[in-house]
Amino acid sequence: MITALDPDLLARVLARALRRGGDFADVFYEYRLVQAFRLEDGQIRSASSTIVRGTGIRVVEGERSGFAHSDDIEEDALLRAADAASLIVRDGRRRDAVVALASVQAPLLYEEHADDPADSARYVDLLARADVAARGSDPRVASVNAFVTDELQYVQIADSDGRVVTDRRPLVALGVQVVAKDGTRRETGYAADGGRTSIAIYDGRTPESIALESARIATTKLAAADAPAGEMPVVIGPGGGGVLLHEAVGHGLEADFNRKGTSLYSGRIGERVASELVTVIDDGALEGERGTVAVDDEGTPGSRKVLVENGILRGYMHDRLNARLMGVASTGSGRRESFRVLPQPRMCNTFMLGGSATPEEIVGSIDRGLYAASFSGGQVEISKGDFVFMIAEGYLIEGGKITAPVSGATLIGNGPDALTKVTMVGGDARLANRSYTCGKGGQRVPVGVGIPTVKLASCTVGGNARG
Amino acid sequence: MADPRDEALAIAESAVRALQAAGASDAEATVSIVDAFNCEARDRALTTLERSRGRSIAVRAFAGTRRATFSSTDLGDAGVAELARRAVAAAAFVGEDPHAGLPDGAPSDGVCDHDLFTVADDVAARGDEEKIEEAMLMERLVRDADARVANSDGSRVRSATASWAIANSRGFRGVTQGTSVTRSASPVVHDGEAKRIGHYGTAARGWATAEPAQAVALHAVHRAVALVGARKPPTMRVPVIFERDVAASVLGDVFAALSAANVAVGNSWLADRVGERIGSERVTMVDDGRLRGGLGSSPFDAEGVATRETVAFERGVLRTYLSDTYWGRRLGIASTGNAANGGVGPSNLFLIPGTGTLDDLVAQTERGILIVDTIGFATEHASGIYSRGARGIYIEDGAPQHAVDEFTISSTFPEMLAAIDAVAGDLRFDGTIVSPSFRVAEMQISGT
Repeated sequence: MITALDPDLLARVLARALRRGGDFADVFYEYRLVQAFRLEDGQIRSASSTIVRGTGIRVVEGERSGFAHSDDIEEDALLRAADAASLIVRDGRRRDAVVALASVQAPLLYEEHADDPADSARYVDLLARADVAARGSDPRVASVNAFVTDELQYVQIADSDGRVVTDRRPLVALGVQVVAKDGTRRETGYAADGGRTSIAIYDGRTPESIALESARIATTKLAAADAPAGEMPVVIGPGGGGVLLHEAVGHGLEADFNRKGTSLYSGRIGERVASELVTVIDDGALEGERGTVAVDDEGTPGSRKVLVENGILRGYMHDRLNARLMGVASTGSGRRESFRVLPQPRMCNTFMLGGSATPEEIVGSIDRGLYAASFSGGQVEISKGDFVFMIAEGYLIEGGKITAPVSGATLIGNGPDALTKVTMVGGDARLANRSYTCGKGGQRVPVGVGIPTVKLASCTVGGNARG
Repeated sequence: MADPRDEALAIAESAVRALQAAGASDAEATVSIVDAFNCEARDRALTTLERSRGRSIAVRAFAGTRRATFSSTDLGDAGVAELARRAVAAAAFVGEDPHAGLPDGAPSDGVCDHDLFTVADDVAARGDEEKIEEAMLMERLVRDADARVANSDGSRVRSATASWAIANSRGFRGVTQGTSVTRSASPVVHDGEAKRIGHYGTAARGWATAEPAQAVALHAVHRAVALVGARKPPTMRVPVIFERDVAASVLGDVFAALSAANVAVGNSWLADRVGERIGSERVTMVDDGRLRGGLGSSPFDAEGVATRETVAFERGVLRTYLSDTYWGRRLGIASTGNAANGGVGPSNLFLIPGTGTLDDLVAQTERGILIVDTIGFATEHASGIYSRGARGIYIEDGAPQHAVDEFTISSTFPEMLAAIDAVAGDLRFDGTIVSPSFRVAEMQISGT
């Protein structure tokens, strides 16, 4: 059922795409099968599948991109799309057709995944186990929703440099949402785990452990007080706190914003942008992680990029278009949600390297502040770097100790400003388990995030407590 | 080329037959065909030209009260047959669900096709070069409007025609079409070391009813310039005015709580509260699927139920949730014609406007903040907590004083709706959830 396109056909389509001229053309073909099950209140309520199959054709000339896509993969339809994409070429310097295409093998960074999804009974069993574990953990657990998704994306990318690259990308996720109720009060917990691997990972990272984590968060929040409001020291917890890094720093280092000069980091390579305790990496080549790309959606291998080294800005994340216009090589960061859209420079797995402090030393250094164990979402404004995060699980720090849980807290600040206020970094760096998906320009792609325990000397906490 | 509506209906009908042949006791298929054009200009030059024709199918297969859904972009006969086989096989693993099933009632007689004026003739009439010229014009305007504009993130013009058809095994066949156009601009101004982007866009069914390119460009520049020199406000409790686009995003969160899907699973602060006074007298919220020219208007919803006008809040009192067939059955209410792909969605949801302008609201505010933009997704639908990062203008003595940013506004939805004490008359239908500007009497500001 997963079918490849004929290389000769790809060559004809590329030749057609460049018929009016242009610097570069590529053809992105994908066939993706997604299987998903959802459990709600003890019952499997839905089973769904998605097939995404089609081809996107791009012609690039200078800064210009022409693009068309087709869900019909017959030759006529592909040639029509190639014609439409070629219309971007305005001053028509004709170029010779593509030479013969040669296949390039993508590195192996994912576990082998069968063409056909596993037996449905296996997914159903995983969800039932999560449900039983969450319900059994606390009488205040009022409802449990859980999902599991299993995806296999096959891509074939041919370009006018004469390469055809194929990649088979598995992606699984299992998430559990628990609503806990006490009187009229309701609170929600969420936990998830997954990666670019098969559902066999849930033999080790069990659905029970994910469910218990979600139930713990929901029931803890039942006792939570309104979060305080105002500026105070904030400790970011290891793992899931990496969302802050992703938003506050990562997006501003994507090459498109920097080429256009709309990012606050534009033209600042070599400058100090953070405390010297801060080293930020984006790595697309980590085996099995959610944001990993053996090759990106332009056929470039995923790689490890040092973005910020001891506080100094070292580089941006590039796709081919921006790399060429900025005179550097692509870093394997050209990613796209599907064949229907153009690739953009995107993060893969973004994390901060660990430091020398212990988590206890970091919390112990604060008389009154906030501990943010994890975030439920965040956003940044690229041009100025202002960010906002909602804290999914947070606690007060009082007298050097983590004390009462708080709810409804947000963190607001400015990325570069917050990075200069990093005064302690723990040795406990790790990637988060949760199944993060990043949105940019309407396109969603899976990513990994990570961070050690980090102290921000001060940050604004948005809470609802009357101060 | 053949009318895409005919193509969509033919594929939907053949998919229903395939599902029945694969053993489905009931079946439904929805096919959509979207023809779209998109161009972007930046730095006075064309940068992107996109043309697309996207086709997709979504089916629901029922095996008694068990149900599975399937969607695909592979619309060939073999693809549709495989989809039918997989969907029916998957349904066997789903639990019995007495509420699952096609909508009640007799199917309409023959093909249902009223356009509700959702097709604007000027969309098909306009050539690509004209749209490209318009994107270039917006780029020139944003560059020339204000000396502080130092850069641009591009100006975009898009148009699309969507055709879709639904067929089900009870004999319903519906087909309809809608057009949409958008214009947007994103000028960048320098603000000391930092930069500020002023995004602004407009959407409508056709070119004639959309805001003109000139107005979009100038509004975007105004947004970028208005926040220059912003600083953090103090932490305080003051009245907060939501400019209409931000007000619409608040309504978007209220919609999530009104959705029967969230209510039924307890993920809504409005659960079990029909008949209660939630908002102030000024809160009357309507969802109207038959609004002429509305971006969410359609003769029927995503499962073929006729759309209608529903009053969700009437002078502050919660009257009903918004629902499709399934979640309505779970709650014991009828569908309000709000089925969307995969769940419950708004058609045209809006707050009934008051009178006066945004400037009047500002003038009537002794001390407070006008919110022109929010960032972050910091709302919780179960608990009703609302907290978002914001940017805006500090107001004192009824006059704008200076720009403010890097702060949050927080409250709870029940408190906010109850505290809406003034609503302006500036409602415009440029989205599926829209609102006039309004004021909340008191919210927590977290700044310095």
